[in-house]
Amino acid sequence: MANFYKTLNQTNDIVNTRTLLHEAIPLTGTIVSGTYGVENIKNYSHGMFQSVYDYPYLSSSANHIFDITAGYANNSGLSASANNQNSKKINIYNQMAQVMMGYDQTGSILQFDEDGDLLAGGTKQKENIFLNFSRLLVKDEIKKGSFELEIGVTPEYAQNGTVFGDRIKLADLSGSDGYLVNSPVGEYGILYATQSAGTNVMAAIGSGHSTPVGLLFYQAGVAVITGSIFLEVASGGILNNAHNNVSMSGPSSTEETVLAVLTGSQISGAADNIRTRIYNLQFNNTVELNSTVYFCRANHNEFNYSSNPTYLSGSKIRVKTQTTDVPVSYITTIGLYSDNNELMAVSKLSEPLKKTPDNEFTIRVRLDY
Amino acid sequence: MAFYKFDEDDLFLNTVQTYPQNKFYIQSGTVYINNFPNLAGQNTANHIGVPAGFVSLYEYNIDRPAGNNIYPFLIKNGMKDGFKTISQTEYNSTKYGDTIVSSYNMSASIDRIIASATSNSASIKALENTFNHYSYLSPHYQYSSSLGDKANQTINLITIPSIFYGSSIKKGTVNLKYYITGTLIGELSDYRENGDLVQVGPVGSTGSGSVAGVVLYNEGFVALTGSWELDSTTIKYDPAAAQTSKWIYYGFGVHDAASVALTTLSASYSLEFSGSNQFQTMTMLAHAKYGELNHSTNPTFVSSSDSLSVSTGSYQYIEQAKEIRNIVSSSFTDEEPKFEKTTYLSKVGIYDKDKNLIGIAKMATPVRKTEADQYTFKLKLDI
Repeated sequence: MANFYKTLNQTNDIVNTRTLLHEAIPLTGTIVSGTYGVENIKNYSHGMFQSVYDYPYLSSSANHIFDITAGYANNSGLSASANNQNSKKINIYNQMAQVMMGYDQTGSILQFDEDGDLLAGGTKQKENIFLNFSRLLVKDEIKKGSFELEIGVTPEYAQNGTVFGDRIKLADLSGSDGYLVNSPVGEYGILYATQSAGTNVMAAIGSGHSTPVGLLFYQAGVAVITGSIFLEVASGGILNNAHNNVSMSGPSSTEETVLAVLTGSQISGAADNIRTRIYNLQFNNTVELNSTVYFCRANHNEFNYSSNPTYLSGSKIRVKTQTTDVPVSYITTIGLYSDNNELMAVSKLSEPLKKTPDNEFTIRVRLDY
Repeated sequence: MAFYKFDEDDLFLNTVQTYPQNKFYIQSGTVYINNFPNLAGQNTANHIGVPAGFVSLYEYNIDRPAGNNIYPFLIKNGMKDGFKTISQTEYNSTKYGDTIVSSYNMSASIDRIIASATSNSASIKALENTFNHYSYLSPHYQYSSSLGDKANQTINLITIPSIFYGSSIKKGTVNLKYYITGTLIGELSDYRENGDLVQVGPVGSTGSGSVAGVVLYNEGFVALTGSWELDSTTIKYDPAAAQTSKWIYYGFGVHDAASVALTTLSASYSLEFSGSNQFQTMTMLAHAKYGELNHSTNPTFVSSSDSLSVSTGSYQYIEQAKEIRNIVSSSFTDEEPKFEKTTYLSKVGIYDKDKNLIGIAKMATPVRKTEADQYTFKLKLDI
């Protein structure tokens, strides 16, 4: 191989770029609840959360999609020592809140704020459902403005799919331009609910987007959703009073409200109830690809000869039979060297380029990392 | 939080050599990889979303219904970023700001090419230099010699994608077996580790000890030229006429578009080899020495009864001293144990020279540290 070293100009020949590659992640409700029964749902003896897979989890082919759990703050109206797994639900809330929201100046855990404006106080979300998405799906981050979660809110409980007649859609409508940055785990947006199927499902909305019902942490890949999405306005929720509270399944009755489920059921039971209400879930993720482009320039009077042994025949240049013949070489490979002339990388052309004094090339070598 | 600098004895770079084993079993045109059955899903014929006998590159889209697959996309910009599956014409016809979409479930499996002077000769001709390059290992590599002229021979070329072997196939691990109705009629091995595929079984069989082909270890090819009869049973390897079994028919029906007739069902084949792959690991030793890392800025480190109390003036801002919480356990409920500064180490952060956090190692459970303890944490990073 012939070697000709040419120093790259740091200003003009080297450019750093960043590419955002996305993936569309559709997760229909049939994957979350239905297709495989409970074979793709994993519960743990600690009972703190439930894992959802895209295939029966005993198979090595299964991919973890997300974890689902629920909890409430210790100053929530739901908190009571008689509740099922009361301390675990409080611990879940506190753990998620301290990681996602951090502490105030007194060292107290900041609670999830409905509009993200921590200084102004405002409404706190004290009873929450948490969806922790797998890093396999989230990659670097959830693409802002792409998250959609559609939930069936038909009041009557059933397991035959009829709970999806009335639906609300939770989306980070302000994601692309209205995200917040006051979280220790990166940027987050507010999830707003809009009616997506049925009539008079949601209470009348004032001005603005729609009703804020949760927070979406883009880099952490966590959705925090208030339990009030299953409640009518009179009960502190967002649904039309005429629509009534949504009946969830529970250990004692199939007519329980989400409040009864959050207090009376174990976390895994609450996760079951919420999971079977998921109609559709989709988002796009983002992967940041960093690249450096090296513009390798071969001027007209450069790289026209080769020190390849085949370049000579009988000690004469093979391609020059007459003195008037111009030299010819074929460029097949470009080596990138360090300052000490150590070969760091090699780029190969798909086919050799014919180089003569009559032509010039700028070969664009891209290094992704 | 304290920063420490790794010294030269705390950082190690190692190369780990791996030899992933692979086994393919082929019967009636179906490939089974590593004895894994091709399971049908509820929505797809093969649950991993690729044709039976193939591996899926990312193993995304497990048993997904049509139209519900994860797929990659990007927004066209001035950086000429695109997908390999998008043609130049298609890319150029896309406007800036438009979405360029590709698809997942990329698959790979072994393949079979039958090359002769009259068909697929380019596939063999393209390997002429490669064959000749390895002739220093064995004369059987030579493209044309007294041992045969590959341009005119019938060659059964088995192609193996690099996803199965990594950087090269490990020498001495290639083994091919040929069965008729479950009975072994031929076995090849590269036990000489020079690329020759020598018939080693069954003992005393026709062609035993002969070289039936060669292996291109770095390129992932097995070229079989053995044309002696392994078994007298005639099978319809050729649509025109039934043939007896030979190495040039090995792997009949493997993704080669050959129709597998009922008479060829009795033939089955296995191909085993180990790959050879290297990856680098960085080992970092992080030391927590005696008397160090015994203080925390965690709010729970101080007594909960101490609230933030400051005195301020025109020229001063003074925080009042706080009492560190005593968490030393006591055997007695009515006696306060002797105070000992205690922290729990839960994470080790790795920072670059500009103090940007570039990695975090988490302990499975926090490690209790007093001023009398010292620890060394061994961090391993695959790179």
